[in-house]
Amino acid sequence: MIFLFAVLLILPGKIALAETPIIIGSPLSTAFLYGWDAERAIKLAVAQINASGGVNVGGEKRPFKVEVIDTRDLEPGVPVSEALLAVEKLILDKKADFIVGGPVRSEAALAAMPLLSKYKKVSILTTGVLTPKYHALVAEQYDKFKYCFRIHGEAKNLVGEMFANFTELKEKYGFNNLFIIAQDVSHARGAAKVMKAVAEKKGWNVTGVEIYPTGATDFSMGLLKAKNTQSEIINIWMDMPESAILLKQWYEMKIPALPFGSTLAAAEQPGFWEATEGKGEYTLCNVVNAGNAPSEATPWTMKFYDAYTKMWDVEPEGLGTSSSYMAVYVLRDAIERAGSLDSDKVVAELEKTDVMGVYGRLRFDPKSHQVIPATDPKEGAVGSIIQWQDKKRVVVYPKSIATGSILLPPWMKK
Amino acid sequence: MQILIYGTINSVALALYSLGFAMVYGVSRLPNFAHGALYVVSGFITWTLLNSLGLNYAVSIILAMIATGIIGALIYQFVLIRVRGMEISEIMASYAIGLAILEGLRWGGFKGMTYTLPAFIEGSTEIAGVPVDYQRLLVVGIGAAVVALLWLFTHYTRIGLALRGMAQDERAAMMLGIDSDLMAVAAMGFGSMLAALAAILLLPLGNIVVEAGYNVLILAIAVCIVGGLGSWMGAVIAAFLIGFAQILTVVYLGAHYQMVVALLAIILTLILKPSGLFGRQKELEERV
Repeated sequence: MIFLFAVLLILPGKIALAETPIIIGSPLSTAFLYGWDAERAIKLAVAQINASGGVNVGGEKRPFKVEVIDTRDLEPGVPVSEALLAVEKLILDKKADFIVGGPVRSEAALAAMPLLSKYKKVSILTTGVLTPKYHALVAEQYDKFKYCFRIHGEAKNLVGEMFANFTELKEKYGFNNLFIIAQDVSHARGAAKVMKAVAEKKGWNVTGVEIYPTGATDFSMGLLKAKNTQSEIINIWMDMPESAILLKQWYEMKIPALPFGSTLAAAEQPGFWEATEGKGEYTLCNVVNAGNAPSEATPWTMKFYDAYTKMWDVEPEGLGTSSSYMAVYVLRDAIERAGSLDSDKVVAELEKTDVMGVYGRLRFDPKSHQVIPATDPKEGAVGSIIQWQDKKRVVVYPKSIATGSILLPPWMKK
Repeated sequence: MQILIYGTINSVALALYSLGFAMVYGVSRLPNFAHGALYVVSGFITWTLLNSLGLNYAVSIILAMIATGIIGALIYQFVLIRVRGMEISEIMASYAIGLAILEGLRWGGFKGMTYTLPAFIEGSTEIAGVPVDYQRLLVVGIGAAVVALLWLFTHYTRIGLALRGMAQDERAAMMLGIDSDLMAVAAMGFGSMLAALAAILLLPLGNIVVEAGYNVLILAIAVCIVGGLGSWMGAVIAAFLIGFAQILTVVYLGAHYQMVVALLAIILTLILKPSGLFGRQKELEERV
């Protein structure tokens, strides 16, 4: 009798816990900033959603469950096939219902697109991949690649955002000479090419382009070229850890050119100041979306920022943090509207997404599935450019959310 | 002038990367593919002693060098000694140990870009109008001193002479009462300490990351193949050849080709003179 009573008491709870979870498969390069920041943000969103009762799938409340596999695609020398294996393993072995996160490297993400089509798996890219080719492919071959979405900014947005700042620097200080340093990887090479073309079109004098191999540890010659050509801005596209060496060398050599990076992983981390003993001060860095550095972009921004800091004991670090977090919420909303996990139905609902998120109003372009960017968070997804000033990451762009303005190092002041 | 200054700095850095590898191979004919991992692990040991235990920087450095030397000696004593003489097994075993160390560090949470060591001397100066920081000048100075001390050590100390004897002819050395395994352990210990010294000098220029282990290994192998496997002096000369070639490549062709220089040097050496500039391995076959 007592046993029966106990069973009856426990059973409802067990039934609730036994609801089949919705599996989110996350292929991420977990040993790298753009991997672990995304993993943490996804887990934070999943924890919050599950704590609030889970996802309503056609009247049935189901929890999210995250399965992460290390793609290692940000590690030098690791072939793209490793990332593809990770994606396939998530789909076939871990039975992932959706893919959220990576692969992180552009080359790997592009290669994974046919795989996602083959298995009809909805994927939301949230970190790393910046190549415009990704959403261009979706637009070109919609029927084939309609399952692919990207919720963070891409290289063309980033270039536009940086040129808005270059123009300001030109007007304020008369800057006109731009030197470009990029890492020898697809997105960075592509971005450097675009930067050069756009800069020349806009009347800038591009004094040089240096492409450094992944793992390079000495940047003195490139920096001296920048100095000798009277460059005023060094535009850096580099996500390898050795970018910290570049910035330390820049400081030690007192190169009179402002380091202005994108995907400059070393400078994105809150620990950058201590790691460089302050030598990275004045470094500018595009962290892709608001929420990856403190700002009041939307009422949700600092709530996310604080929740992340509380859960992981570190502030949001890399460019994939706020977007990874929002991807889970956007996916939940789409599933609830679709009332089903059916990929085609969820795709249709994701295309209708219109939510005020951590970094502004989130909508996908219905043809290319790229998140719609804006400089005002009320209009679309806003980026963030930060500058290290007195131990802090100060948002200097866009103006609608800026908490400070760009400063020059003492050796550049005339 | 900038080519001369930064070519010298780059060359000395390459020499420091490779001296430990050259020493181990020279004495025990053991290609220590865990060399890069020992380089990285010594950086993390120093960081831990300095930041987690709060020890003095100099004390941390000395303890890290000793610890790395002991790790190297233990690797030989407990693993590599069993496969000694079996070249493929030596490579596989040492590479596996290196891989385990590096991935173990990553698994243990040593990832990210915020692990750094402070420079010995802060600040920079200009030499003939070329800006250069004191730490890099120190690297050149200490690097030169290390080469000189290594020469004195191998020419004027009992252990050094025994190590040279082993490097020249192991059987003859054994006939004179030199313990081959003991010398191999000593070589591995000294070689590991040299890797640690390189790390302690060069890591303050950037940050301590696991990936550096793989790069250091590739560069050390390139230098040693060009210089001649087992030749310490050959390694130093090859470091200067590759070091200056890399800087000239960056200046005249572009930084993009920098890494190609080291790999091209390996290929060309293996085609034209497999024993390297000063190596004696396969020298007889080449003459024949």
